[in-house]
Amino acid sequence: MKKFAQSLLGITAAIAVTLTAGPALAEYPEKPINVIVPWGAGGDSDLTTRLWADAMEGILGGPVVVINKAGGGGVIGTTFVANSAKDGYTLINAGLSNVLVTPNFSKTPYDFGSFEPVVKLSSVPLGILVPADSPYKTFDDLIAAAKAGKVTQGSWGAASSGTVLANIIADQAGYTVKFVHGNTTAESMVALIGGHIDSAVSFPPAFGPHVKSGRARLLVLNQKMDEYPNVPTFADYGIKGSFEGWSGVFAPKGTPADVIQKLVTASTQAMEDPKVRQAFANMGANVDFRHGDAWVKDMLETYDIMKDAAAKMKQ
Amino acid sequence: MIDILNNFFGGVASVMAVGPIAGIIAGVCVGIFFGAIPGISAIMAIAIILPLTFYVDPIIGITMLLAVYKAGIYGGSISAILINTPGAAASFLTAQDGHALTKAGKAGKALAMALYASVTGEALATLVLIFVAAPISVISLQAGPIEKVFLLIFAFTVVGSMTGESIPRGILSCCLGMLFAMVGMSSITGATRFTFGVPELMSGFTFLPLLIGVLVMPEVIDAIKNRKMPHHDLVLSKSANPDDNRVTWKEYRSVFGTLIKSTGIGTFIGALPGLGSSAAAFLAYGEAKRTSKNPEEFGKGSLKGIAAAESANNAVCGSSMIPMLTLSIPGDDVTALLMGAFLIHGITPGPTIFYEHTDVIYAIFAGFLITDLFLLIIARAGFGFWTKIASIQRYYIFPCVTVFAIAGAFTTNQDMYDVLILICFTVFGYGMRLVGLNPAAFIIGFILTPLLEQNLDQAIAIVGTDYSMIAASPFAWIFTALSAFSVYSAMRMKKKGKKKAAATQNASEQAA
Repeated sequence: MKKFAQSLLGITAAIAVTLTAGPALAEYPEKPINVIVPWGAGGDSDLTTRLWADAMEGILGGPVVVINKAGGGGVIGTTFVANSAKDGYTLINAGLSNVLVTPNFSKTPYDFGSFEPVVKLSSVPLGILVPADSPYKTFDDLIAAAKAGKVTQGSWGAASSGTVLANIIADQAGYTVKFVHGNTTAESMVALIGGHIDSAVSFPPAFGPHVKSGRARLLVLNQKMDEYPNVPTFADYGIKGSFEGWSGVFAPKGTPADVIQKLVTASTQAMEDPKVRQAFANMGANVDFRHGDAWVKDMLETYDIMKDAAAKMKQ
Repeated sequence: MIDILNNFFGGVASVMAVGPIAGIIAGVCVGIFFGAIPGISAIMAIAIILPLTFYVDPIIGITMLLAVYKAGIYGGSISAILINTPGAAASFLTAQDGHALTKAGKAGKALAMALYASVTGEALATLVLIFVAAPISVISLQAGPIEKVFLLIFAFTVVGSMTGESIPRGILSCCLGMLFAMVGMSSITGATRFTFGVPELMSGFTFLPLLIGVLVMPEVIDAIKNRKMPHHDLVLSKSANPDDNRVTWKEYRSVFGTLIKSTGIGTFIGALPGLGSSAAAFLAYGEAKRTSKNPEEFGKGSLKGIAAAESANNAVCGSSMIPMLTLSIPGDDVTALLMGAFLIHGITPGPTIFYEHTDVIYAIFAGFLITDLFLLIIARAGFGFWTKIASIQRYYIFPCVTVFAIAGAFTTNQDMYDVLILICFTVFGYGMRLVGLNPAAFIIGFILTPLLEQNLDQAIAIVGTDYSMIAASPFAWIFTALSAFSVYSAMRMKKKGKKKAAATQNASEQAA
């Protein structure tokens, strides 16, 4: 009976949440806000954006609609938003790959400067993994093998953030690998645990379950994580730089400052919600909430690193 | 085994509460409704509903999402059968045979066959998921890029049995499909191909507008061309014989073998991550046609054709959960969304899920089977309404089809560019009909090429210079043999068909 009451409550709550669109406000937002996710539904930046949008609806008192505009390695959706009205009703889920990496590696109709950064929501540290039965026990073993001969490494596209970061790492450590590209981080993990490739670069939402189940071994990570206390970091091997994927929300350049400010305030409140934080944690994404000048400065630094890497890789 | 049964019945008990059942009923209704509207696919329905399930009990939330998924796949076959507008890739084969039956006044029969095949395929695949998920997942891991390349080559040979009269034209159509599939940015190399500097072409041709443009809109043009036809010819009357609008037990029994075989194919393909329901439907359809005594009926209203396509694509729903739940590998976009739902609820899919969340997982399994039951009941109740739609006069139907086609093309990505694709491919599709090219073979080429290309690229990277690896796997040999056999039997079928035709012609000449 208690279970019945609970479940009934749950459904009622779910319906109530959707129905209460809230009173119309005279100020922003007066109509639904569209957030474009330039990737397919179900990926980690899609899910984190949906969680954020769901929390924002309650705070802003109006619909925040997530729309997937996938294709062209994120370029299609990102271009669409760059050319949208600068009124704050069209936002983009932006991250390392679509605003920092792709503009440097491909000809895109937009650049980092085409957007007004709003907030950073989450980040995920890059890690390098091998199958559980791999002869490489440490990152040093892998480096030695890669220097000696052919080591395959799973990533998700030649101009993807994973490959670019992996190349910067390989360049510093002085080895080369042969990349095997899947469409997503999840796909390259399939090839890894099936024993079809020797190693893979990936993020915790994709590799977490496999490391937990003992099918894959995590050799090295961007930063120390509580879940993996014994895994060394790239810095331990003398590799400099920050190798993390991140996801946030941007608006087209020229969006009024008060609108951005309102979004930042509402996001601050949304990301303090313990339910939202728990849902992010369940997915394996760290809440890494940032906004303002210091954050933009960090992004510009990364942008320059990507620019150099692009110049090197194109040679 | 006893443990599994115990857990399963425990699961049935916990899912038999008002909350989960209400969730399932709501999910089935939403799924059928969204699935039946061309252009709104199951994945969009799930994405819309997903936030509703964030903070309810996972048993309710996840069974509801899955109900939407399963019912959505079935719903896609309704519009495919009635107005020849497949809502998704997997139901385009259903449209071929199902709509032919509708034209013959047997819409009820086609709908019933699609429903029974869907439910049979799903229920059997779900049983496989419940009882043998773990061993299957281990086998599916063995299939890497090299093995998948051979499997896809085999899938391509299905074109042979789809081509109709002329094999060269069928192959040409398929090659055109492959060529169009190459447009856009390669996700592997990042290179842009055939875009001619048009940024919109970077994501290639969106599938749904292309499908509707090639398959459906030429029918509308045909109807306009034949507008001088007397009106009574334009009305599809419902056949007076009640047996024409249901599936008799005898008919169900006669397709049962096809159902089992197709479900097997669907379950196998579904368990391999990344191939998807359309590849399964092609293989099952090709196999059913190859082994049928009356292959010429396929595409012209064959019950076996509907049974094969629908049971295979629905079996994929059940079995694509196998790699997702046991290995935390989402095989397609829908399972990726469902996996997201699991993660948000704090349940990490993986081998330990069965120990760590025993109650929840078996309740969800029980929910899957109960969903099939409700789908059967609810969808069955809707038949009267759907068949009425089929008997509406055609000159009301075609404008509606056109509106749905354009709206559907737009909603996929909310992009006017997709409407332009629809219009261009309508012209192209009509042209293909005029010169006798085969739209079905074109679509197969278009769907399978990206899968083949990606797996081939991965295989090449893995093999490097060690060419012996290509032939090292037994999979490779099995599928090469199957491909050769499939090509051979397609050629033999063609010869037989010619002989048959010649014989009947001779007979009629002699009679004259």
